[in-house]
Amino acid sequence: MKLPLRWLKEYVDFDISIDEFKERMIMRGFEIAEVIEEMPNISNVYVGQVKSIAKHENSDKLFVCAVDIGRGENIQIVTNASYLFEGAIVPVALDGATLAGGLVIKNTVLRGVESYGMFCGKSELNIKDHEITGADDRILILNDASMIGKTIQEALGLDSVIFDIEITPNRQDCQSIIGICREAAAALGKKFKEPVIKHIEGSGNAADYASVTILNPTLCPRYVARVIKDIKIEPSPLWMQTKLRSVGLRPINNIVDITNYVLIEYGHPMHAFDLACVDSGAIIVRNAYENEKITTLDGVERETTPEMLLITDPKKPVGLAGIMGGENSGITENTKAVLFESAAFIADNIRRTSRKLGLVSDSAQRFMRGVEPVNAYLALERAVELVHELGAGTVVGEVIDVNYADISQRVIEVDTKRVNRIIGEELSPEYMKALLETINIESTVKGDTLVVNVPHYRVDIESGIESDHDIAEEVARLHGYEKLTPRLMSGRTFSGKLEPHVQAEDNIKNLLAGFGAYEMYNYSFMSPADLEKLMLPKDSRKRQAVRILNPLGEDQSLMRTTLTPGMLNTLAHNIRHKTKHNRFFEVGNIHFDKEDLPEEVKMLGLAFMGDGENFFTLKGVIEALFEFLGITGYRFKAGGSDYLCPGKKAEIFVNGDYIGEMGAVHPLVEKEYEISSAYIAEIEFNKLLKHKAAVKKYKSLPKFPSVERDIAIIVDDSAKCDDVCDIMYSTELDCVIENVTLFDVYKGAGIPEGKKSMAFSYTLRRDDKTLNDKEITEATNKLLMALECKLGAKLRQ
Amino acid sequence: MTVQDLDKIKQNALKALESINDLDDLNTFYPTVLGRNGELTLALREMKNLSPEERAVFGQHANTVKKELEEVIENKRKALADAKMREMFEKEAVDVTAPGKVCIPRGRIHPMTQVYREIRDAMIGLGFTTYEGPEIEYEDYCFTKLNLPKGHPARDMQDTFYISDSVVLRTHTTPCEVRSLLSKKPPFRLVIPGRVFRVDEVDASHSPVFMQMEGFVVDKNLSLRDLKGTLIEFVHTVFGNDVNMRMRPSYFPFTEPSAEIDISCTICGGKGCRVCKGTGWIEILGCGIINPHVLENCGVDPNEWSAFAFGIGVDRVTSLKFGISDIRLEYENDARFLRQF
Repeated sequence: MKLPLRWLKEYVDFDISIDEFKERMIMRGFEIAEVIEEMPNISNVYVGQVKSIAKHENSDKLFVCAVDIGRGENIQIVTNASYLFEGAIVPVALDGATLAGGLVIKNTVLRGVESYGMFCGKSELNIKDHEITGADDRILILNDASMIGKTIQEALGLDSVIFDIEITPNRQDCQSIIGICREAAAALGKKFKEPVIKHIEGSGNAADYASVTILNPTLCPRYVARVIKDIKIEPSPLWMQTKLRSVGLRPINNIVDITNYVLIEYGHPMHAFDLACVDSGAIIVRNAYENEKITTLDGVERETTPEMLLITDPKKPVGLAGIMGGENSGITENTKAVLFESAAFIADNIRRTSRKLGLVSDSAQRFMRGVEPVNAYLALERAVELVHELGAGTVVGEVIDVNYADISQRVIEVDTKRVNRIIGEELSPEYMKALLETINIESTVKGDTLVVNVPHYRVDIESGIESDHDIAEEVARLHGYEKLTPRLMSGRTFSGKLEPHVQAEDNIKNLLAGFGAYEMYNYSFMSPADLEKLMLPKDSRKRQAVRILNPLGEDQSLMRTTLTPGMLNTLAHNIRHKTKHNRFFEVGNIHFDKEDLPEEVKMLGLAFMGDGENFFTLKGVIEALFEFLGITGYRFKAGGSDYLCPGKKAEIFVNGDYIGEMGAVHPLVEKEYEISSAYIAEIEFNKLLKHKAAVKKYKSLPKFPSVERDIAIIVDDSAKCDDVCDIMYSTELDCVIENVTLFDVYKGAGIPEGKKSMAFSYTLRRDDKTLNDKEITEATNKLLMALECKLGAKLRQ
Repeated sequence: MTVQDLDKIKQNALKALESINDLDDLNTFYPTVLGRNGELTLALREMKNLSPEERAVFGQHANTVKKELEEVIENKRKALADAKMREMFEKEAVDVTAPGKVCIPRGRIHPMTQVYREIRDAMIGLGFTTYEGPEIEYEDYCFTKLNLPKGHPARDMQDTFYISDSVVLRTHTTPCEVRSLLSKKPPFRLVIPGRVFRVDEVDASHSPVFMQMEGFVVDKNLSLRDLKGTLIEFVHTVFGNDVNMRMRPSYFPFTEPSAEIDISCTICGGKGCRVCKGTGWIEILGCGIINPHVLENCGVDPNEWSAFAFGIGVDRVTSLKFGISDIRLEYENDARFLRQF
């Protein structure tokens, strides 16, 4: 909302600094986002008068002027403006002046003659669509001798500022000069005198000219209209034009300007119909028919749908209610009689229509914020007053007012004790009453109750369960939030805690960072193209992505079903930026489409790439994570998603429960994402937590020494490490076998074709004694026997 | 065998020792004199052939010579060992000014997580417990139950990604207030972190995805003063004790009264700079007393219970704390960026 300081000053004295005003306003809930100078970025430009003009001694095209800038002594300026004359009153940019476009003026010497400034034209002063006339490319000739010596801003009356104030959506009443001035006056500690509109009696009978019928009172609770005849279409007076310009509106003609002026002043949009174009003057407010078309004032033909509200006459639509009038009934220079419309339309309906048609007008925007029916009436009265004042036409008859809204004075009873409970202070009802009075809200004290007359424009103050809170908000705001003494929540105490899964997430992240991985955050979106780049089969669950109806772009239109695209993009980004060794992890949600709410699954993703990384460096970190969490009984089984590399991918199971997968990224996928030799893992986070040891129990350390042994066996090429380990662990022995670890695999000379040698180390021990050689040999023989029996393994000699 | 013979053995041994410069040689030499069959040992064995008088003199002298030699050899051994170690030290000395090596890359917790933990832990200290809800949420929970019915002007404040008519990507963590009110018995204090979404094109200060944290307290007789006191504690824990806090009126549909919290600019200390747009203040969170409609919508009696809430953007606080000028960096995962925290 733009509030020109000049306009504010019409209501109250402004006797504090702008900074102080900003401070007071923000503490009342009105943030001044910007203080705009009326003539910004122009400095050190004064008005002077040319006293004499002489020819330049070294140039035929230059002239030397003596200029009076009201400082006693004339200054000398060299110019090429041959049209300049003695006595001309002109803007003069002095040494150091800033002009449009950041141009800085300095004293200079032109062909041997000193020049102490420059005469300015409109373009240099950034005066464009303004009441000052004159050629754009010439020096601006002013005509008022009293301007001499003043700054150009003072001289042109452009030395004030315009406040750009942010209005919260609840305070639609402050989307008007009157409303915001009411608050500003209170902030200045001044009384705001509510303007009184002079009712203009009309001549004749309005019914002879026009009628109004509302067929859908739900969408249009009130429609107020008035007829003006003998219209003289002409430019509006300068004061009105200036004010309209100061809030960014372009003057058009008196009638249109009046509606715009009232929109700014009262915050209520109006419309003026050329009455001659409304068939029999009969306004009918109704929903559109199927496929009904209307050409709006902007010349665009719009196809409407039945939920849209139209202003019509018996034969045709003449306006899109609250959004834009029809081209067929707009004001032209030939307009002789108008019907002023001031109606209350329902915000939601205007919003829908505006969105659907892609048509946003000032009027629509205002309606979308919400208007109220009493203000509709006042706006019309004000417009008629202005018509009268401007002599724009003859007012006919009385106000046509079709009203279905409750416009009676609303009274609420407020429990001041509760208000105090909400604020936390002990304010007296009388004090509250006094605070409310500063913004012209009248109330009476009845014991602990405050009986409040809610002004019609304060639709945000509700009747009902919210009313105590509404008044508490006003009281707190007017009392000053800064005066509230901070207090820590009293009453019972609480023991705060991290939920165990939150604590676990912290720990897991710390561990992974300790293993050299950077934590990453990728967007939750993915592109349909990712589904193809990942070579997902048609029936893949990862294709069941949640689709966003209004995405930022097609490439962000799906909610990710896997962390993989994000991880691969992160790797690609880092490779592009020459990071040679990459370890990343992410904890984030993926989603699968489902009836009702989608299924949300929290995932842990790992992505390794670069120097020395391979399948086993990634696996090692995952195993270390399992060990840290106390997860036992995990298995890596060959297999996994199609975007992983065959032969180098594994599905991970804990006690038979699938928890995720890992592996090298498929070379074709790597090509798509512009990476190479990447290893990734994706593990269901909650399954990690599910299999995490609830409590870690201490096992007493072995009392007797263990012995470490190695064996090398020759097995089929297809034998897996786990196959051997399983057999060794499950072989019945008279001692404990631990730490069975593969440490070498060999194929080649000395090993038959189709076979390989695997070397394992393992430890043996007993809890009750030290093992002797015989027992060790016996155990080893049993192991070999089991391996031979179950796996056909032979001891490698 | 005479005392002179002993002296001769000694002289010879000392002479031989002089030319020995190596521990191994010394070890070889030792037994030739003092070993079982060493010269001196053999000489001593000869002692039995001497007269008792001679034997006494000879024996005493022999012992002196043995001690002397042993001492000399021991000293020599020490000197040689020392020299050998010094030589090794010299040989294996490193250039201590050369760069250190890390065998695994430098991992790091994302700065946003670091800030999230700091904020969360500040709230845990105030008696809050963590609580989470889904990222894809019922429109009813995200808006309607929060006093933002369809057509409410404030809905425009939150440009929403829609999944269907009734399902949205949550625009704030506030629907978790609805979920907790529907499922938990008051009183309670919750800290609610989570990812939220708004239809915002990506630029230096906007991201369609960001992280929010919400504090939510339901209890009897909670007031604006309690909210202010809680937030001052919170602000001081997260931003330091010398930061000033300002609470000013604002508007949110789900709170009434509502407030915005500013802190004195962490860059300029309140004097006014580019970051705070010259105001000296930086807006960090929105808060308020929960609107009684919200409690009622969730089946909690607003006459019995009161509540307050505050919501803070973790991304924003991260930018502020670390002086990150472009929010995009927080989702780019550039190792050169991440390693700085």
